[in-house]
Amino acid sequence: MSSALLEVEGISVVREGKKILSHLSLKAEAGQITGVLGRNGAGKSSLAYAVMGLDKYRPLEGAIRFGGREITDLPITERARLGLTLAWQHPARYEGISVHDYLRLSSREAAEKELAAALSLVLLDPKAYMDRMVDKTLSGGERKRIELASVYLMKPKLAILDEPDSGVDLLALGEIMHVFRLLAREGQGVLIITHREDVAAQCDRSYLMCTGAVVLEGSAEAVKRYFLSQCEPCQDVAAAGMEGCSE
Amino acid sequence: MTLQEKMTALVEIAERTGAAHDAFRSDDAVYVVVHGNDIIGSHQVPGVRIEAQETDEGIDAAITVERGVILPKPVNLCFGHLGKEGRQVINSHVFIEDGAKAVFMAHCIFPNASLFLHAMEGTIEIGSGASFAYREVHVHSKEGRIEVRPVSKVRVGPGSLYQGDFTLIEGRVGNLNLDFDVEAWGEKSRVEVTSKVYGKYDDSCEVRDVVRLTGPGSSALIKARVVLSDESRGRFLGMIDGAASGARGHLDCTEIVQGNAQAEASPVVKASHPEAEVTHEAAIGRIADDKIAGLMAKGLSEDDAVDVIVSGLLR
Repeated sequence: MSSALLEVEGISVVREGKKILSHLSLKAEAGQITGVLGRNGAGKSSLAYAVMGLDKYRPLEGAIRFGGREITDLPITERARLGLTLAWQHPARYEGISVHDYLRLSSREAAEKELAAALSLVLLDPKAYMDRMVDKTLSGGERKRIELASVYLMKPKLAILDEPDSGVDLLALGEIMHVFRLLAREGQGVLIITHREDVAAQCDRSYLMCTGAVVLEGSAEAVKRYFLSQCEPCQDVAAAGMEGCSE
Repeated sequence: MTLQEKMTALVEIAERTGAAHDAFRSDDAVYVVVHGNDIIGSHQVPGVRIEAQETDEGIDAAITVERGVILPKPVNLCFGHLGKEGRQVINSHVFIEDGAKAVFMAHCIFPNASLFLHAMEGTIEIGSGASFAYREVHVHSKEGRIEVRPVSKVRVGPGSLYQGDFTLIEGRVGNLNLDFDVEAWGEKSRVEVTSKVYGKYDDSCEVRDVVRLTGPGSSALIKARVVLSDESRGRFLGMIDGAASGARGHLDCTEIVQGNAQAEASPVVKASHPEAEVTHEAAIGRIADDKIAGLMAKGLSEDDAVDVIVSGLLR
């Protein structure tokens, strides 16, 4: 029996008649940062949505197991209550909900100072942000950081972070990666979805995705090398197909 | 029920839904409490004049905040009825004299009403350099069908601010016909009107907010948030007329529909002066899937996620 925290086994997802994930398998371990690297359109976010349980991304085949339990047919809420969560690439806006109340949704038990500490971790001043609304008055980058703080407060068993670097400036990226390291050090699993090889290189292990399938699995460094040599020069991802990328 | 018991019951609800704990008790409080057509409590302080008379179906009231008087605490007006059926008609005239500043909170409380008409017809006259906020909150019964008809005509003088805010805090809307008509006639006067309504079952909600900017450099913001569920129907009619040089206005309406509810929005922006600028944004739609999924990924059920989103929208 596998000991992986998350095990995705041969899932395929079809949307609007198009296969967007094809016989995809991967694992994520507790206490590790697992990367999923791929160019835009590779199907990385679709993978995140399928694992989180979004209705339109239900697998046609294959299975998803979390903590040894099959969750393929569980709704989002139940997956979240098992300890799985997702930080969205483009976090939604919530009119009339303050940053404080939004963070509180992630952790009803956390002390006020823990909410403030979570904001500080993502380099936002609690005094300046706690009473602001999670609406259009915040930039995409600010909402992204608040989403990461929210995930940090949840203390999930596995956090899926969809393009956590988008909208975050380069200088802050190192600090943000520090948050993921903290999560892993505390024994939680982190699954980072990214199109940046420098982000994937900081993971413990990585997968490379192209056209809805995993084409390579290995050390973060090996995946980065392959990505730079094979994927970056590739001008037509759609035309390449799985055959074009796999060896 | 004695008048005192009615007073206690209405005040308790008012305090639960926004009034300060001493709003109807302290020596410096200004308030009027009306049950049906009985004035069962009132208090005033120097600088504020309240003249109220009982009528067959409600009351006629005139409230004046005198020149230069700045009220540190809100004036609380509690209009209610604890019975199931009846009518209450409130005619009110508010005068905010030059340089005065005041916040009025009107608590309209009908916790047991099943067949009730609550009509409010009011005028508000704001002098120059004054500031007036009128916040009307409603508490209705959960299942009853109440007919609510608040009609206000407001005139805002030079350099003055008017903020109007209508919110249903508890219970079902019933049949709401809200009609705010504001003229910002004073130079650099400002108007902010916000209406928040949550219609359920077969409620019917019609919100009409009209602001005419006739004062040079006057400005207005109309904001409407209407959430409709079940079989309810909602209609928002908003208009800002930029009728003076430098007048600026913005109209922002969001209607959320769930179930078989139906919504209609008619935002009208008019610039009857060539140097006025009026903009608008209006949206009718269901709650976006990503908003609901975002909260479900934090462990909330779908219903709880919708509740959080709706209460944020109506906050």
